Amino acid sequence: MVKFLKLYEKIGIFILIVFAGIFLAIASPNFLKTDTILNIITQGTYGVIVGFGMVLAITSGGFDLSVDAVVGLTSVFLSLLIPNIGIPSAIILSILISCFVGFLNGLIITKFGVNPLITTLSMATIIRGASLLIAKGRQIPISVEKFTVIGTGKLMGVPNPIWIMLVLFILFFLLLNQTPYGRHICAIGSNESAARVSGLNVTFVKIMVYVLVSFTASINGVIRTSQAMIGIPSMAPGFTLLVITITILGGTSLSGGKGNLIGAVFAGIFISMIYYGLNLIGVQYFYQLLSVGLVLLFALFVDGLRKRYLEAAKIKGIKV
Amino acid sequence: MTEISEGNVLLKMTGITKIFPGVTALKNVDFEVKYGEVHALVGENGAGKSTLIKILSGLYRPDGGEMLFEGKKVFFSDTRQAQLCKIAVIYQEFNLIPDLSVAENIFVGREPKTLGRLFINWRKLNAEARKILDRLDINLNPRKFVSDLSVAERQMAEIAKALSLDARLIIMDEPTATLTEKEVVKLFEIINELKKQQVSIIYISHRLEEAFKLSERITVLRDGEKIGTKNTSQTNQDEIVSMMVGKVVKDYFAGEKISEGKKEALLEVKNYTIANHVYDINFKLYKGEILGFAGVLGSGIHHMLRSIYGAAPRTKGEIFFNDKKVLIKNTNDAIKLGIGFVTEDRKGEGILYDMSVMQNLTIVVIKALTFLKGMFVKSAKEKKVFAQASKDLDIKFADLNQRIIFLSGGNQQKVIIGRTLISNCKVLILLEPTRGIDVGAKAEIHRIMRELANKGISIILSSSELAELVNLTDRCLVLYKGKMVAEFNRQNMDEEALVAAQIGQKINQT
Repeated sequence: MVKFLKLYEKIGIFILIVFAGIFLAIASPNFLKTDTILNIITQGTYGVIVGFGMVLAITSGGFDLSVDAVVGLTSVFLSLLIPNIGIPSAIILSILISCFVGFLNGLIITKFGVNPLITTLSMATIIRGASLLIAKGRQIPISVEKFTVIGTGKLMGVPNPIWIMLVLFILFFLLLNQTPYGRHICAIGSNESAARVSGLNVTFVKIMVYVLVSFTASINGVIRTSQAMIGIPSMAPGFTLLVITITILGGTSLSGGKGNLIGAVFAGIFISMIYYGLNLIGVQYFYQLLSVGLVLLFALFVDGLRKRYLEAAKIKGIKV
Repeated sequence: MTEISEGNVLLKMTGITKIFPGVTALKNVDFEVKYGEVHALVGENGAGKSTLIKILSGLYRPDGGEMLFEGKKVFFSDTRQAQLCKIAVIYQEFNLIPDLSVAENIFVGREPKTLGRLFINWRKLNAEARKILDRLDINLNPRKFVSDLSVAERQMAEIAKALSLDARLIIMDEPTATLTEKEVVKLFEIINELKKQQVSIIYISHRLEEAFKLSERITVLRDGEKIGTKNTSQTNQDEIVSMMVGKVVKDYFAGEKISEGKKEALLEVKNYTIANHVYDINFKLYKGEILGFAGVLGSGIHHMLRSIYGAAPRTKGEIFFNDKKVLIKNTNDAIKLGIGFVTEDRKGEGILYDMSVMQNLTIVVIKALTFLKGMFVKSAKEKKVFAQASKDLDIKFADLNQRIIFLSGGNQQKVIIGRTLISNCKVLILLEPTRGIDVGAKAEIHRIMRELANKGISIILSSSELAELVNLTDRCLVLYKGKMVAEFNRQNMDEEALVAAQIGQKINQT
């Protein structure tokens, strides 16, 4: 069992993708076409990009439930700012505002010692409310045509969101695995007291983690808004759960200390494949929702199993 | 040894074997306990003590051998069956519910009921608990919440719980590891009382002197095999130690101490006060010396040392480092000055569970092992630092990416000591560095401490093991209820004097 779980940890998500791929290839003649596959991956990037941030948060022993609200906030600010200050400035400013939300999350969690779940859940509600207020409850169309390039354009035949995901992947991968900062995140998620005693700046590291989560959520907001060409305060409802599903299914341990970014990429693609398959059968949106919930439960189940067997292996003195 | 008639044997295990994938944890072990006997079980970490206990308590199923309990053949497939057989285990981490009272904990799941079994009969519950506590002469209010109890009191509650289950055999796993000397005395009284009531005890401890004080017989395990059982009155510590380690070890403490060099104060603490913990403490730490701190629970030593390291606040006081006044606001300040700290709570504050052996060692200095202005970790450099430290400290590991939780306690401790050492440490504060570590690793840690001191590193050692202080330190300060009550140097230091000073007895100092 330990061996199986170890194997699953390494290649489990690939096997899931292969199975899903074989199934889809049989079920649909259109599946094995470049356009379809690129489309599936593009759909997957939404969750994956924010998943990168969530991997950091969960690795540090935290959690962020405010990502969907940040997407909406970014969308509203983009729609208001683009006509006034131009596209580049509008994007930068919107992202900075979102990062500030992450900063507030981190500040409340570290300085006041509030549970991250409750903090970010409250923050999500506050941000949603604020977005609706700022937009006066309306959806705000964007008329600057050029803006649509970000979400719908292609570079060398590959849709831009995939490029964005790749760039972010490289950045976050280096950050988590090759920098002292990444090491500190793992240390804090592993044993916060020990990290503190070892002289690490726990407060700074954690605040930055929440800033980075909001940063990824904001990037997601930019892409979505650019595709919709409309500022929607209530954009991406229920998105947070999808992001968490991708993170856990990708092999990031819920108990912290161990993050897996590559896994998140493939988990995102896998879920996107499920959506595609469900669309193929022609079932309703409700089933998609249901399936994400089921996948999350499955991922949590495996995570729990892994923890239990690791514990047992430790007691029995088996090397893992 | 004389043959024991079957009649007075409570537990007889024969040919017990337990195999884990790749490891034989127990090989054909015979073990028996008589009625009303205290049988000490000793051995280094990994000798198979805990496996044997887990088989006895039903956590593990043996792969071979059989067990007779009260003359009947038994087989435990889970812990409940062991409990029904009246075997109780008191683990180091207690199984009490903190938010319930002592009485509720004793009778948890079996509370006396009233009014058609709907409600708990509180009066009866507390009275019954009182009765059990009185049986052992334990002075503990059954209405008190477990969360308000000291470690020693929790242990007593745990023993009372075992007794309320009418346990015939109580297994105690390192019961004194976290107790003060005074509490140990009380525990021994309780154990003797249990003995009188014909309760048998398997006593597991790293502290050999306790085994000798308490037990009728001692069984030594090594590498999963039984080395032998001795009548306590017919053996001595040296013999048992050599049985445990497999070779003759004369003195398991580090060798000689350094001669007094020129005294150069490296760290000076003045008028140090932490409200409710310590008051007006003054001391100097000289270069290359090992300074001991002794004190029973409530002495405030741990609090003070933590605070000096910047991990806890202080009320007032000054710290001088190299004759310069310094302000230590947090642990990072202390590390920058060259003060290292090794916690007494290895699990809670020491190891980073999910990380590798190497990452655990380099975490503090990782920022220095980088290129591009601290951006990226240089893995060759990190490996070099780790290789050097693991060689210096003789850390044993399978591979450097192995997770730290799979190392033995002694090796984990070495990694944590290494963590502080490689950050250019000049003062090393060690709290209970050998707690829960087997004899071999203990001797190594003592040797390492002495070597470090010889290299000019100053060490502060707080230990509840007085023999350790007497054998290892150059000077020893004793705190009692937050006040400094005595200072010993090598000439006038001995265990009896330390014990007396620790519990606040006035002593004549010359």
